[in-house]
Amino acid sequence: MARASTTQRKIVVTVIAWIIALAIFFPILWTILTSFKTEADAIAIPPKFLNFTWTLDNYITVQERSDYFRHFMNSVIISLGSTVLALIVAIPAAWSMAFVPGKRTKDILMWMLSTKMMPAVGVLIPIYLIFRDWGLLDSRTGLIIVLMLMNLPIVVWMLYTYFKEIPGEILEAARMDGASLGKEILYVLTPMAVPGIASTLLLNIILAWNEAFWTLNLTTSNAAPLSTFIASYSSPEGLFYAKLSAASTMAIAPILILGWFSQKQLVRGLTFGAVK
Amino acid sequence: MGQIELKGVTKRFGDAEVIPPLDLQINDGEFVVFVGPSGCGKSTLLRLIAGLEDVSGGTINIDGRNATDERPAQRGLAMVFQSYALYPHMSVRKNIAFPLKMAKMSKAEIDAKVDHAAKVLNLSSYIDRRPGQLSGGQRQRVAIGRAIVRSPKAFLFDEPLSNLDAALRVNMRLEISELHNTLKTTMIYVTHDQVEAMTMADKIVVLQAGRIEQVGSPLELYRSPKNRFVAGFIGSPKMNFIGGAEAAKYNAFEIGVRPEHIAVGPTGDWQGRVTVSEHLGSDTFLHVETQHGLINVRAGGEVGVHHGDTVWLTPDRSQMHRFDQQGHAL
Amino acid sequence: MATQASRAAGRLMISPAVIVLFLWMIVPLGMTIYFSFLRYNLLIPGDHAFAGFENYQFFFTDPNFWPALINTLLLVGGVLLITTVGGILLALLLDQPMFGQGIVRVLVIAPFFVMPTVSALVWKNMFMNPVNGIFGWLANVFGVPPYDFLSQAPLLSIILIVAWQWLPFATLILLTALQSLDSEQLEAAEMDGAGPFSRFFHIMLPHLSRAATVVILIQTIFLLSIFAEILVTTNGGPGNASTNLTYLVYSQSLLQYDVGLGSAGGIVAVILANIVAIFLMRMIGKNLEA
Repeated sequence: MARASTTQRKIVVTVIAWIIALAIFFPILWTILTSFKTEADAIAIPPKFLNFTWTLDNYITVQERSDYFRHFMNSVIISLGSTVLALIVAIPAAWSMAFVPGKRTKDILMWMLSTKMMPAVGVLIPIYLIFRDWGLLDSRTGLIIVLMLMNLPIVVWMLYTYFKEIPGEILEAARMDGASLGKEILYVLTPMAVPGIASTLLLNIILAWNEAFWTLNLTTSNAAPLSTFIASYSSPEGLFYAKLSAASTMAIAPILILGWFSQKQLVRGLTFGAVK
Repeated sequence: MGQIELKGVTKRFGDAEVIPPLDLQINDGEFVVFVGPSGCGKSTLLRLIAGLEDVSGGTINIDGRNATDERPAQRGLAMVFQSYALYPHMSVRKNIAFPLKMAKMSKAEIDAKVDHAAKVLNLSSYIDRRPGQLSGGQRQRVAIGRAIVRSPKAFLFDEPLSNLDAALRVNMRLEISELHNTLKTTMIYVTHDQVEAMTMADKIVVLQAGRIEQVGSPLELYRSPKNRFVAGFIGSPKMNFIGGAEAAKYNAFEIGVRPEHIAVGPTGDWQGRVTVSEHLGSDTFLHVETQHGLINVRAGGEVGVHHGDTVWLTPDRSQMHRFDQQGHAL
Repeated sequence: MATQASRAAGRLMISPAVIVLFLWMIVPLGMTIYFSFLRYNLLIPGDHAFAGFENYQFFFTDPNFWPALINTLLLVGGVLLITTVGGILLALLLDQPMFGQGIVRVLVIAPFFVMPTVSALVWKNMFMNPVNGIFGWLANVFGVPPYDFLSQAPLLSIILIVAWQWLPFATLILLTALQSLDSEQLEAAEMDGAGPFSRFFHIMLPHLSRAATVVILIQTIFLLSIFAEILVTTNGGPGNASTNLTYLVYSQSLLQYDVGLGSAGGIVAVILANIVAIFLMRMIGKNLEA
């Protein structure tokens, strides 16, 4: 390749890449734009791209008519709750597997992974019946428990791969320096593991927020998070594009922002460390 | 004080016996080097002394007190790790202060000790940096600083120089030797590099497969190795070994001659052809193909011998080592 | 390697995770297996008689079963084909030097963060709707009669929606793998006279094969249980044209209240997923040793 053509080539690549990227992003962009239109503008033919009257009415209506905020809080509580619970169980487990590995550690890790491979539909019925009998249907507690268990293997794995990167010698140095197990974890391990714990937290919140099998099957109204709430717009009487867009925008915006921060960790978390 | 005594210490990982029963006496103020090829158990032995691993049997006495079941921190030993094991999220000052903080020392006392250590080790200008911003040599010094502030009974070094480049390694070797001269504290130093062992040690412990092959001063090991393994391991370039009929002439199964104890001349005992000659200026290393195999010779720097020349070699009989069939020195 | 004290602490700290996961796996799965051998319908009270393999027999002979299985495979296969090929091409493109690379990356990744129900609804109404959707308008502009995607090609439409959601995932992972390729290897190949195409086929593609396998296996696990997209767009229809195994089990158990039959279907889904899982676990396990 002649070096002189590099800039030219870069411009061509830039144009192609931007066109493709905008095409992929377009449905999201379109949803966001539509959320600021009046219902008439939303279904106008030909579609109005920017030449419409901007309005916030849809957001207000969505909140007033369907108590959007309650579903939003359900999503927050369920995804945050299940994630924090998973971390509480997973941090000690990952510590143990990374720093005091035994003969069976690898088997345990693989077994945990295998639980994740089980399709949810295989256990849907018992979980549904248990929840019905225990009064957990349509409750946030029930969903927190299920989502926590569902994501626990990913959390353990992610933390494990992060902890593995902390050299054991540093913890031994702390032990030689007189730190007890508690102080070793508090002063040395935790500060070093904070980036890893944070990205695990982030990815798990995203997964829990977007989960749509258990939320659809186990909640109806009271505990319904946004994924279930949005599904209620699929019925014909909910067919108002602008309001649908406003509700959708509010449902995906927080996660879109979190997600953009966690691109790199996403790869590690979703491939169980098989691709770094 | 820092006298350490191992009595019948063994270590098993599962069914594998890494260290068979082993006895060793380390005196106060001694600089002891554990040396051996990788996998010989030298690091494991050090970790047993540190308390980072449990012994499978035997006792470890420190200053006459049985420390076998004590936790690492209770033993009063300090360790410098191969990777330095600095706390990456703490500044140099906090790294050095960490053991003192764990010992619940007062702030004023900690500051005084840290400042003193930093001065001794030339670290004062980096004291507020993080380890990530330091060079290899500086990190090494911080690790040593963190060890000396505790005024330990003994220092344990686990291959501390293996991550440094060659020039820095020579410097740090000198610094550690000087440190030992100043502090007069017992030091146990693990390395696979026999040059480090020879230059630094008061006492060398040569290990192979968890077994002590020989204990002695550097010169003792050089002059009278107990067996073929020690003879081959200590000294650089390595000793030449010759078996068969030539060895039988000296009433041995095998004879060993160091490269520096072979004379090159127009006549002599063994005839050979030079395959490679390495001129270092001060010395010339010759690789000579003879009827007894390849023999390495260390000749003077001015020897004008080149590739392809035919030379005669004569071993210095007074410096010759003889071994029996089991490899024991005769 | 460590002392006995720390090993004991290690065992103590790992047990909560092991215990809850063990219960989570074994109790419901055991119940599903048990139910699958019972005549058990929530609408028919009374004791649940042992049914032997009757439920499995019903499930396999259900006129919806084979279409559901084929739909499942088509859905998984179609999405995999689009995302893997598209992902490799996109990854190659994004790996080139360009202006605004960070923003391009962010835009491409975005669909992965959109919850399934939202993306299904947006595509269904605002794009694929023949009257008000963008595709309908585009068809008019080009003078073609508008196409009712979800009733005329329901499965293909769902494949497209799901592929849009998963393309970023494949791209992101393949891009990460591509960036880990040692540039010296490519330079060495260039010195050896390899052109851009042979560099791609002989060096980049083999390097990507591992990541591509991971992408395929992980996506398969998720794609086998696609549910929300179907529920929101077509409800499995028209007829059974877009019903997959997961949706079939859902409709039998939670819509027709036949616990026994649904359980048998659930077990079939588990077995199908396990076949894939075995391959995935081998790959990850190998990586653990390296």
